[in-house]
Amino acid sequence: MNRFKWFYHPVFIFVFSIVALAASLALYIYWYIEVSAGLKAVIEKYNLDPSQFLEVQTWVVILVLSILVAIILAGVFLIFIYNQKTWQLYRMQRNFINSFTHELKTPVTSLKLYLETFAKHELPREDRLKYVGFMIHDVERLLDNINRILELARIESGSYRREFVETDLVSAVRQFCRRNADLFRNAEIRIHDPDGKSLRGSVIPLLLDMFLMNILTNAVKYNKSDAPAVDIRFAARGKELQLRFEDNGIGIEKSEIRNIFKKFYQVGSTDDMTAKGSGLGLYMAQQIAKIHRGKLAAESRGTGKGSVFTLTLPLLGQEDKPDEGTGGQRGQA
Amino acid sequence: MKDTVRKRILIIEDDAHIAEGLRLNLSLKGHDALIALDGPSGLREWKEWRPDLIVLDIMLPGIDGLSILRNIRLEDERLPILILSAKSEPEYRVKGLAYGVDDYLSKPFNLDEFLLRVERLLTRAAWGGEGDPSRGSLSTVGPAYTFGGNVIDFEKFTARCRMGEVSLTEQEIRLLKLFILNRGKLLSRRELLEIGWGYTGDTPSRTVDNFIVRFRKYFEDDPHQPRFFRSVRSVGYVFDHKD
Repeated sequence: MNRFKWFYHPVFIFVFSIVALAASLALYIYWYIEVSAGLKAVIEKYNLDPSQFLEVQTWVVILVLSILVAIILAGVFLIFIYNQKTWQLYRMQRNFINSFTHELKTPVTSLKLYLETFAKHELPREDRLKYVGFMIHDVERLLDNINRILELARIESGSYRREFVETDLVSAVRQFCRRNADLFRNAEIRIHDPDGKSLRGSVIPLLLDMFLMNILTNAVKYNKSDAPAVDIRFAARGKELQLRFEDNGIGIEKSEIRNIFKKFYQVGSTDDMTAKGSGLGLYMAQQIAKIHRGKLAAESRGTGKGSVFTLTLPLLGQEDKPDEGTGGQRGQA
Repeated sequence: MKDTVRKRILIIEDDAHIAEGLRLNLSLKGHDALIALDGPSGLREWKEWRPDLIVLDIMLPGIDGLSILRNIRLEDERLPILILSAKSEPEYRVKGLAYGVDDYLSKPFNLDEFLLRVERLLTRAAWGGEGDPSRGSLSTVGPAYTFGGNVIDFEKFTARCRMGEVSLTEQEIRLLKLFILNRGKLLSRRELLEIGWGYTGDTPSRTVDNFIVRFRKYFEDDPHQPRFFRSVRSVGYVFDHKD
């Protein structure tokens, strides 16, 4: 952490400026009263016409001075707030870079290790194939990480805006889970069908996939239960469509719920190395919800008691859907 | 090559691929290697399997690598430990070395360099390890420690204090060493639990408080006005004394 000496500390500078400002205001007023008292004495001594000198009332002077000082104070306060915000962002970004380089280094280390092993030893074909499988997986991990950064840039630039497609969300979620079944094979993902009805919403398929990937990976990754499980429920409320993702994972502390959607934010701290991940997943999920004119909210009964993420989207319509059974696609993985 | 002696090497590393790659190379070198994928199981394997060398990652689920290192060093000063971490900044190296790591390699590393360093550590350990093979010396604390009017004997597990001669449990000794090594420094309840016991965060921290109550009874002139084991509200404890 970048420690400045105490007199460089923003809080000190802030307090010091306020004290200096208050002192100067008091001195202005004091001196003004002194001077005008002296002037009055001179006027009286020489019997001059007072209206020539003391046109301005004392209280007007004090008022004007106070207003000016208040404006300066507000300025100092704003600068202080901005400064704090900048520092916070800087620290978060540093956290992000730290943990993100970790995410990049790990697959690279593994790749290098196996390549060097291959260069050194003649392994049996069976082993070689197994390790090549590891390496392919590592390359995929690297690609995922790189893509996440690129996608984030794309989401933030807003260049997705013209790719909305009207979709049945129930079957979109179901298809996503089927396609990525191998990623979540250690977890049970239960989709609770809203009585075979289809709920239609206007979504960007690529972003919806990214959203589901983030929410579901979190549910499985931050899960210490023996049988990780996620329940996905759909509900139509008036003109809104709700998707609830309920997991049995480690949950979120009440004090953290406010923070988890912030960019680069990670639960835990990098100082004691308890923070993991990029701090981008939920931020991206929330951005995706916003692009769809929706909301993403989190709730949890506390640490160890699982968490619930609710995505609210505008609903286009719902209809009975008889062909749900045949609409499924085979998993590609 | 002089691979005649099979050594046991414990790999505490949360990335399964890297761990497997290390295991493969170490066993190709003729060693027995065992993988622990998180902090708590790493500590367990260290106690049960008694390895000759530990390869340790810093970022680990459960208990982080530096806490594991400190935990092990409370009991065993000699066991060679090599940190293998993606953290390459000097501050982490310094921290690791200060807590008593023998070598530090940052990821991504060179395989040959890693293997040579491991061999070197094993050879060096073999030179000096004849005296007492399982327990290392207490070089950092010394066989006895005096503070106030109290003397703690780490070899006999006893203490002479205001209550006369009391015998200490192994856990009490560990905790006392941890306090003495961190004299004047604040130790949080979590640190005490992780390093002193090897527990993860879910354990009730009353455990720590109970031990402190006992220490105060042994060593403080007035257990209600402690001079040595002072508590810092809602954080943890500081051990300190004059001279």
